[in-house]
Amino acid sequence: MRPTLVVGNGPFLFVIGPEGRPSAGPFALDPDPEVAAHRRDGLTSSDVPERLVETLDTLPRDIELMASPPRIASALSDRLHRPVNSPSTAELRRARSVVPPFDPAVERRFFLALGRLRLERALRAPEEVLITLAREEDRVERSVGREARAAESFVPVPDSPLEAHLAAWERARRALNDLHAALRHTVESEAKRQVPNLAAVVGARTAARLVAAAGGVRALARMPSSRIQLLGSRRRPSPERGPRYGILYRADRLQELPVGRRAAYARSLAALAAIAVRADATTRHDISPTLLERRDRRVETLLRRRG
Amino acid sequence: MRPGRAYRPVARSPRLVETTRGDRRELWTEAVGDFPPVYGERWTEVGGRRFRLFEPGRSKLAAAIVREWAGDLPAPGERWLYLGAASGTTASHVADLVGPEGRVYAVERSVRPFARLLALADRWPNLRPILADAREAREYGDLVPPVDGVYADIAQPDQLAIVLANAELFLASEGARLLVALKTPSMGRGRSAVAHREASETALAEFASLVPSVSLEPFHRGHFMVGGRWGRASKLPLARSVRPTTRAGRRRGRSRR
Repeated sequence: MRPTLVVGNGPFLFVIGPEGRPSAGPFALDPDPEVAAHRRDGLTSSDVPERLVETLDTLPRDIELMASPPRIASALSDRLHRPVNSPSTAELRRARSVVPPFDPAVERRFFLALGRLRLERALRAPEEVLITLAREEDRVERSVGREARAAESFVPVPDSPLEAHLAAWERARRALNDLHAALRHTVESEAKRQVPNLAAVVGARTAARLVAAAGGVRALARMPSSRIQLLGSRRRPSPERGPRYGILYRADRLQELPVGRRAAYARSLAALAAIAVRADATTRHDISPTLLERRDRRVETLLRRRG
Repeated sequence: MRPGRAYRPVARSPRLVETTRGDRRELWTEAVGDFPPVYGERWTEVGGRRFRLFEPGRSKLAAAIVREWAGDLPAPGERWLYLGAASGTTASHVADLVGPEGRVYAVERSVRPFARLLALADRWPNLRPILADAREAREYGDLVPPVDGVYADIAQPDQLAIVLANAELFLASEGARLLVALKTPSMGRGRSAVAHREASETALAEFASLVPSVSLEPFHRGHFMVGGRWGRASKLPLARSVRPTTRAGRRRGRSRR
């Protein structure tokens, strides 16, 4: 005998009887599609509609109960104090094909509300905050550089109407510098908190930019060191002279080395960065002292090397 | 496309027209949403209908049409599931093709592109954005009804497995459509692009009757459009066209011709 199935359709739930047709429903999670979207996304046992619980309580205990999606199965199981399993793909397909569609206007409001809700939640995740901050800091840094270059090349004309504008421009540049300093401080402290090993090896700001370029800590942890070395690099015209480093060019201690040895350092540093970020993404153990010792030994070796 | 300039409807899709500009073929989809442009594409109005330029360089579906893709296209009134919608560049054109009565359920996992997709869905009334991982099809099983087609554009090594899992769960019936913009650069460097395509065709042919795939070059390097109709029953008549081609086989084919 087929199980009784509870299947969701946007803001509604339906009970599909053993004969494969809707036997009860729709049970709205909430009459307002936007509230229903909130309920659907964080569904707990208390969000299960009361009428649905009453309907299911009338079923004999020996009838197998299934529900989809998994979140609904879990909430129902908690509420009914009985096992609620997930249906097979074939069962689910059959059930979804008999569920009646709902009003397009309600559907649209529900989807937009659910999308906004999920987006907001995703953007609040610490990792996404770090990525946003790192990208913003990078953008502001470029603006600061652009304005500074423009100011350097500007020729002032004394006793002209330009004087007033120059003063305003200088104030704006100072404000931009302050914003950059504040952003940089925030980015560095966030990076030290979220990827402490990576921040120790390459520097906090470079670590944040690496995470932003990869799209996340886990994404960065999946990359081989060769890919980390090239993250953020620009393609050069000739394939023979491919890029040797990108974001890592700004890593700690790189500027201490002569230009000809920086690529060698970038290779070693990328290997250490790969180890560091994997520790940050998985075990969260502090392995930075060992990595720092290896990094500094490599720098000393490269500085001693002749030619 | 200026009013009065010759434009021809594309037979397979009533909401798609084409014009010729010099030696170039231009495709246009009839817009469902409102101005301004979604990604800077050109708009025009002909006979009270608003059209948007469907650029092959920006969209793999447009590239496939330009490269003479023989399979079915999204048709008015249909429901399509779009995996890997990103910011909605192609998804908006698929939504144009299915028209105001159709639906496009657009799944995207990355947060930032989804923010743009969501803003687009505010203006495109038949676009339904879903922030979810296409690998977890059951998580959005209550949001997507049975659909007439699945379009996939996913840069993942296991893109084919993801597509098949979604197709199995959401395609309404045998004969429903499957369109996969195969990204061989994302499938690993162990094989050539052609070998990846052949392996994918072999895997897909177990579940669908395929039409001959097309390369999307020069618009998209290492990409192919692969797909056909869901269901093994109709596999046989087309199986010859998707048989993996070995170098020896290609030589034999030439000698016969």
